[in-house]
Amino acid sequence: MQPLTEEERKRAFAATRKPEAIRKQRLPVRYHVEDFEVADRPRRFLEAFAAILKHTNYRLALDHYMRVTAKCSRCSVKCQVYVATGDTNDIPCHRSELLLSVYRRHFTVSGVLRGRILGDPGLTDERIQEMADSFYNCTACRRCHFECPMGIDHALITHLGRYILSEIGIVPRALAVSVREQLTGATGNTSAVPVAALKDGLEFLSEEMQEDKGIDIPFPIDQDGAEYLFLPAVSDFLMEGETLMGNAAVFRATGDKWTIGTGYFDGINYGLFYSDHILEQVLQKIRAEAERLQVSKILIGECGHASRSAKFFYPTFCGGKEALPVVNIMEYTHRAWKEGRLKLKPDAISETVTYHDPCNLARSGWVVEQPRELLKAFCTNYVEMTPNRQDNICCGGGGGTVSMDELRPYRTLVGGRMKADQIRATGAKYCVAPCANCKKQLRELVEEHAIDCQIVGLHDLLYKAIIFDSSVPGE
Amino acid sequence: MQAWIEFGRGPLFRLAFCLMVLGLLRVVVLTIVGIAEAYRRNSDRIVPWKAIARQTLGWLVPVRRLLGGRPVYSVTSFLFHVGLLAVPLFLAAHVRLWRGAVGFAWPALPQRPADYFTLLAIAAGAGLICGRVFHRGARALSRLQDYIWPPLLLAPFVTGYVCAHAALGPKVYQEMMLVHIYAADLIMLTIPFTKIAHCVLAPFSQAVTAVAWKFVPGAGQEVAATLGYAGLPIWVANSRSAPAAGDKKEALVK
Ligand code: SF4
Repeated sequence: MQPLTEEERKRAFAATRKPEAIRKQRLPVRYHVEDFEVADRPRRFLEAFAAILKHTNYRLALDHYMRVTAKCSRCSVKCQVYVATGDTNDIPCHRSELLLSVYRRHFTVSGVLRGRILGDPGLTDERIQEMADSFYNCTACRRCHFECPMGIDHALITHLGRYILSEIGIVPRALAVSVREQLTGATGNTSAVPVAALKDGLEFLSEEMQEDKGIDIPFPIDQDGAEYLFLPAVSDFLMEGETLMGNAAVFRATGDKWTIGTGYFDGINYGLFYSDHILEQVLQKIRAEAERLQVSKILIGECGHASRSAKFFYPTFCGGKEALPVVNIMEYTHRAWKEGRLKLKPDAISETVTYHDPCNLARSGWVVEQPRELLKAFCTNYVEMTPNRQDNICCGGGGGTVSMDELRPYRTLVGGRMKADQIRATGAKYCVAPCANCKKQLRELVEEHAIDCQIVGLHDLLYKAIIFDSSVPGE
Repeated sequence: MQAWIEFGRGPLFRLAFCLMVLGLLRVVVLTIVGIAEAYRRNSDRIVPWKAIARQTLGWLVPVRRLLGGRPVYSVTSFLFHVGLLAVPLFLAAHVRLWRGAVGFAWPALPQRPADYFTLLAIAAGAGLICGRVFHRGARALSRLQDYIWPPLLLAPFVTGYVCAHAALGPKVYQEMMLVHIYAADLIMLTIPFTKIAHCVLAPFSQAVTAVAWKFVPGAGQEVAATLGYAGLPIWVANSRSAPAAGDKKEALVK
């Protein structure tokens, strides 16, 4: 990988906010924040930290990580941010230490004692500024976790750090504004898509498909008792029409009952990036819609964080073991294909195709082989990028950073630098990235690095390969 | 001097050993209780135990993991650990001490392999120090204890080896033994309070991480209530609206 040139470094780290704003808020970060002023920030931070420790499970992890951390620096090799910047402040273990040291100083007996004896004043405002910057440099990709011999999960610390910061009002504006619309706005979704526009858009896509394939491929809306409630990242309705067409086409071929609910149709959950409280509230919206429509499964579209937040936290917040099962659309399509209910033309795509593993799908080992088997079933020239699967490299826009347009130079020059090389090395014509976040980031990335590769969703390509049986149910 | 040596390997050794065992027991119990507590607080109880076990085992027997990040350092570290466990536990002289003290013991290593393990540990330990000092990332992360531990752990190895092999005068021999014994006692006394506690805690890491990712239903609301902002919409920065005067917030922060 080429090291950052001086010019690139300047662009990546250029200030994005007015010096007055930075001074007024005492927050030298590059993401935009809402207009607020905070007095007595360290005290408030500690209060929020204490409250969170009291009601959650984080203390266990903090205690444990603090005791075992060996400072071996293996994680430094894995972090795409540190590899690009070479700034030792970006080493995952250093990032975690920012918060761990606050924990040690203020929430352990020995730390408090030592602080008293040495007259250490404890958490300073500068440290809060440092954390606000550092925790949003991390893309929460969890790649470093698998490299740590002590099993420390630095992304968990990043998550907690952001949660505490959000409780004292430090949240990237892009995320806060979207969440506000989603939880209390008139449209109730992060992209502020009104239901009428949604219906129009879907009708248009159906017409397209009618023209294309000569058959009626509907997007069922508000179907009571359907098997699947479909929730893609809502931005798909605006930008990823081809993915949605592929999704609908699969259901047309299998004949299973699915539906999009007008009460709630957004899979995005920024709570995963910065607040457990919001994570829970957004999932409750999904639950309400699922109950309204009496569906039996939750189906998340091509989106990593939406899938992970539902799969791993829907049971937590919405009914425990009895909660409705959560399925990712690629899992669904893969199963249908395995069962012979979906037929694919084996040579539908002859160009070179590669696959980017979205961190939130692959890191836990959840959706790894399914998309590969599908792609190999209809692409004649499939290549892997390396490393891949659970060890994949983040696109560089994870952890919500892709939504912050002001960070674009940082994301494409620093965060995605390793990824760009990786994609270029495959020489692929298509890079399949089944995640709304990854798609946006990777498109900006290939543009910045002038890589001749088209970023697509899995269902965009699959759409071209589906063989429609004339005897399909629903005909 | 002989009296000091006797003290060091008699009462002080027993004390240090007991404190080490108790200290490590304490953190292990705390960790297990913590895991159980976190598990209980989570409502779904869906924990990927199998994956946790696989990962834990993968790190305990790290054949496949050594060649990831920093391969040379990792392999060195692995060899260091092998020597570190083999020699103190299986050296014939130590085994004999155990038999004398508690009445039973285990088979000892023959002298020659024991020597090799000792030299291996010393060489690997020196390698680890270099791997820390000359690696930019590691240097940036290192704390004082990270620099102290390798030499401290090596002190008994070096002195023990010299005592066993060099023709020393009785005075020097005694001095060496003194260092040997007191360094070992110091190590045992400090293990539970430093990063070396990972010798018993590391096997719990994967489970700790997995249950820590299991969030607690309703916790977000309770956090807001504790902070005195229960009624406010959650994205209103708490800091923007100061709590009312006389608001009795619990004193959680020391
Ligand atoms: S989670 Fe990813 S971005 Fe964050 S520190 Fe680890 S490797 Fe770097």
